[in-house]
Amino acid sequence: MAKLTIDDQEFEFPDGTSLFDACREARGEALPHFCYHPDLPVAGVCRLCQVEVEGMPKLTIACNTGVRDGMVVRTRSEKVTQAVQQILEMHLINHPVDCPICDQAGECGLQDQYMDFGLYESKVEMAAKVNKRKVKVIGPQVILDQERCVLCSRCVRFCQEVTGTGELGIFNRGDRAELDVAPGVELDNNYSLNTVDICPVGALTSRDFRFAKRVWMLKSARGVCPGCATGCNVRIDHEGGRVFRLKPLRNPQVNGSWMCDRGRMTYKAVHDERRLLQPVRDGKDLTWAEASGALAGMLQGRSPALVVIGPHASLEEMYLARDLADPAAVVSGPHDLDRGSGDDILLDGDRSPNRKGLASLGITELGAADLAARVGAAGGPVLVLGGDPGRDKTVAGALAQCANLIAIATHDGPTVQAAALALPGAAWAEKAGTFVNRQGRWQGFAQAVARPGAVRDVWRILAEIQALAHDGSGPQSLRAVRQDLVTSVLSEGELDMDRMPEQGYVPGGGEQ
Amino acid sequence: MTIVYEALAKIGFMFALIMGMVVVLIWMERKGAAYIQDRTGPNRAAILGVRLAGLVHPVADVFKLLFKEDVTPTNRHRALYNLAPWLVMTVALSTYAVIPFGDFLTVAGRRIPLVVADLDVGMLYILAVASLGTYGVVLAGWAANNKFTFLGGLRATAQMISYEINMGLALLGLMLVFGSLRVTDITAGQGALLWGFIPMWGVVVQPLGFLLFITTVYAETNRNPFDLPEGESEIVAGYHLEYSSMKFALFFMAEYAHMVIGAALISTLYFGGYQVPWLPRPALESHAGLLLTGTLIFTLVMSLLIAFAFLRRASRERGKFQDARDREPGLGAGLWLIIGLAAAAGLTRQPWAVGSAGAEVFASLAQVGVFLFKLVFFAWLFIWVRWTLPRFRYDQLMNLGWKVMLPLGVANLLVTALVMAVV
Amino acid sequence: MSFEGLPIGTAAKKRSFREKLYFPEILRGLGVTIRHLLHNILHTADMPTMQYPEEKRVYSDRFRGRHRLMKREDGSPRCVACQMCSTACPADCIDIVAAEHPDPSIEKYPATFDIDLLRCVYCGLCEEACPCDAIRMDTGIYEIAADKRSSFLVDKEFLLNNTTDGTL
Repeated sequence: MAKLTIDDQEFEFPDGTSLFDACREARGEALPHFCYHPDLPVAGVCRLCQVEVEGMPKLTIACNTGVRDGMVVRTRSEKVTQAVQQILEMHLINHPVDCPICDQAGECGLQDQYMDFGLYESKVEMAAKVNKRKVKVIGPQVILDQERCVLCSRCVRFCQEVTGTGELGIFNRGDRAELDVAPGVELDNNYSLNTVDICPVGALTSRDFRFAKRVWMLKSARGVCPGCATGCNVRIDHEGGRVFRLKPLRNPQVNGSWMCDRGRMTYKAVHDERRLLQPVRDGKDLTWAEASGALAGMLQGRSPALVVIGPHASLEEMYLARDLADPAAVVSGPHDLDRGSGDDILLDGDRSPNRKGLASLGITELGAADLAARVGAAGGPVLVLGGDPGRDKTVAGALAQCANLIAIATHDGPTVQAAALALPGAAWAEKAGTFVNRQGRWQGFAQAVARPGAVRDVWRILAEIQALAHDGSGPQSLRAVRQDLVTSVLSEGELDMDRMPEQGYVPGGGEQ
Repeated sequence: MTIVYEALAKIGFMFALIMGMVVVLIWMERKGAAYIQDRTGPNRAAILGVRLAGLVHPVADVFKLLFKEDVTPTNRHRALYNLAPWLVMTVALSTYAVIPFGDFLTVAGRRIPLVVADLDVGMLYILAVASLGTYGVVLAGWAANNKFTFLGGLRATAQMISYEINMGLALLGLMLVFGSLRVTDITAGQGALLWGFIPMWGVVVQPLGFLLFITTVYAETNRNPFDLPEGESEIVAGYHLEYSSMKFALFFMAEYAHMVIGAALISTLYFGGYQVPWLPRPALESHAGLLLTGTLIFTLVMSLLIAFAFLRRASRERGKFQDARDREPGLGAGLWLIIGLAAAAGLTRQPWAVGSAGAEVFASLAQVGVFLFKLVFFAWLFIWVRWTLPRFRYDQLMNLGWKVMLPLGVANLLVTALVMAVV
Repeated sequence: MSFEGLPIGTAAKKRSFREKLYFPEILRGLGVTIRHLLHNILHTADMPTMQYPEEKRVYSDRFRGRHRLMKREDGSPRCVACQMCSTACPADCIDIVAAEHPDPSIEKYPATFDIDLLRCVYCGLCEEACPCDAIRMDTGIYEIAADKRSSFLVDKEFLLNNTTDGTL
């Protein structure tokens, strides 16, 4: 342990802590910085995090200094602020100051630092600035603006250390130094948009989000990526009922600071034109009142003969659907439907977000042939939710034969086509829920945008089916569902699912 | 049959008089209010470029209101809602039946009294009909099924009860002095001279009664400062809030018709009605030639002066508007020149030597003219007061009615009775 | 400050006997109004009323009238769709959709630029916020009229060319 003084206060940190982290802890906010990133090796190139350490002849950068016993550190002295201002001025010498057209404006390190420390008049005329390439497409997802770059090398380090692909580099020297891809190389890996996230300025911007919205207009909600079993924590940035982008939220236990490009595009499904927006019976749109009547007619006071729960449903929905029918009549599958190839960074071969949830509720997962056989033998209403099992040809054949198929779906698809009654359920960003990731970690997500059209929250639809089938009332709130769920699966009061821990919850301990 | 024709002619005259006065009063109200408030007032509506200083606006309003959509509230009481505006207007018009607008007119040897119905209980008729008018207001307020109109109707009821009594008390004093309930008797009585030199007008013999009466008349007509049933600032527009189109127009016209009755009552009961001061009917007839000549000379001089003023305006404002309005001063000058020429032509016919038949007609016309003059003046007084005084608060209205005016009215009646008993 | 001892409501002024009689004061009031009336009838030319369609008030150069969009020398809009104006707008009446400009030195331009003139409160915050001097309210047009609501929703072409008078 090292005892040190930061801004006239005594602190104690374990040996090996960087001074940058120590100062963040001590001050409650990070030191100004561009190049430092907690999940990347230290480069020490931006020189912004300079602090004054007694006994050292000059200011020193905090990110590349370890804590030492007896250190006396000052982070807010006149000398430090002056140094930060001068360094910032150097960074901005050749900056084009094209904030009006820059997507980074509003979440830009330069803007923030300038407002905190700069506020000087520029000594450089616009005409005297060194011009470099603007709007350079360097990959399928990323656009580079060399003028805006402050050469912090975060993206270079990311491509070397995290993906190991090394597409990016800094070329030339002096004020001609510029970030670029090597000739003939494209920034084309499944993690390329992370370079946009970590870029402190607007040098690297996302082609997908380009000019779509000014970032200060966006509202955010906490989410979990539904793209694969990894369950990367994400921030859903949305405005006016539309999701505009996903950004990774740092969770060292799950995804570090990263997420894959494939996962980032999952939001597009929410606004897909194949979305099911109205209850549909035999190709005709219904109102909910009509749909409820049809549902009652199909169920006739009985439970569904078979409930097929897919791995895309939330844990709460799985729990409600499981208890709709006899345990033997609740299945999932086909089990190899949502599989692809994964990598060893984040992307999992299992492309469904909640397969572990099925397991934790004891729902059997069947193969295609078995599921088809069960559907064929059901002899009563079949309820399908949380996925589209009809994408498997064998299952589709069986579903087509089923006369009383009720599908709760987000998108049109083979199952909806085969269904006698299709009910529009909320898609992932439109509802709150819980996914259990591949580690068995329970991770909650919140509702970000309003549900479009006549779309309803799935737990409400299930509650209505429960009321119709069991001639009583279903649960009245998601909170009630969650309390039942925790009592039934975990022990009572073990977890408040409305206040899920930030890093998720792994039942039975393990790596929290 | 002749009596029926006479009555119809007199009713027609009264009706035309009131409707014409309504138009003129609306114009006076707008223009007067504007000038009092340092504004120009209406000056846009024109017929072939002639604006008549804004007199065309009421005409334009009539057309606008006739063609406007009649918006009615869904939950109204249909029959009463439709009845109310007609009731208000009808009652406003019926009071005129007993008001004499002249002494008599001799036509083909028949002396026609210039009053529609010379009731011997005319004063009671006035009081009865005046209180009926409030029914229209109350019904309108209730039938529209709107809380603001309802409050307006309630206010009207309370106000009517409070001021009806005072009006009766004030008139009682007058009846005692002239010893009759017949309106024509009271008017005729005012032609006499008190102590040989003061016209025995109601205002002279009943000064306190006059003040009480004029106040109650203002209250009965719902005019400022007693327009609480309308009270824009508190209850939007009060009882007629839910009326539009011609139904609203009826309320609007009824207000002005009420003003005309108010002015007619004030001038008839307290200012001698058609009586020309110091010139009773025989004197009028005997000096007819002199008076006629004077009138014609006066008309000639005035019309020439006015025509001259129009001509000056024409030269000053030449090409001001670049449209039909530029003709206006020229037309005005022409009209007044024609009137002047007519007066001059009259002068050439030796008006100083007018015969006895002509003298009688002249006397009748002079009396009608004097009545109209008084009428217009008191109607203008209504307008003048409205743009001078603020509205009473409701408690002030009640205090004034019950705690001030009622005792004063009783005292006035007692003193009058005492004086009448002694004299 | 203490409110103790202060009268509740407006303290009534003590009225003299003459004022209590009402009528003398009413006559005084009538005198005031008739003075105004006679003065105005005799001096119609001095009336401050402006005969509006024929005469128009001259406003200061800083008067904020209807908006216009400025052009570059080549006629394209100066606006770069940074949306500072729609961010600053307290009435939320500006709607901009940005798009990629083929010229990399311009990079971003407004594909649509709509202003709802009925929502606009003419506060001028948009022109204050504009970093490119692209939106101005210096047309001096204030008589904005149309016969349907949709006409008040003006688009980029309208704002750039700004040809009509107040009638939309």
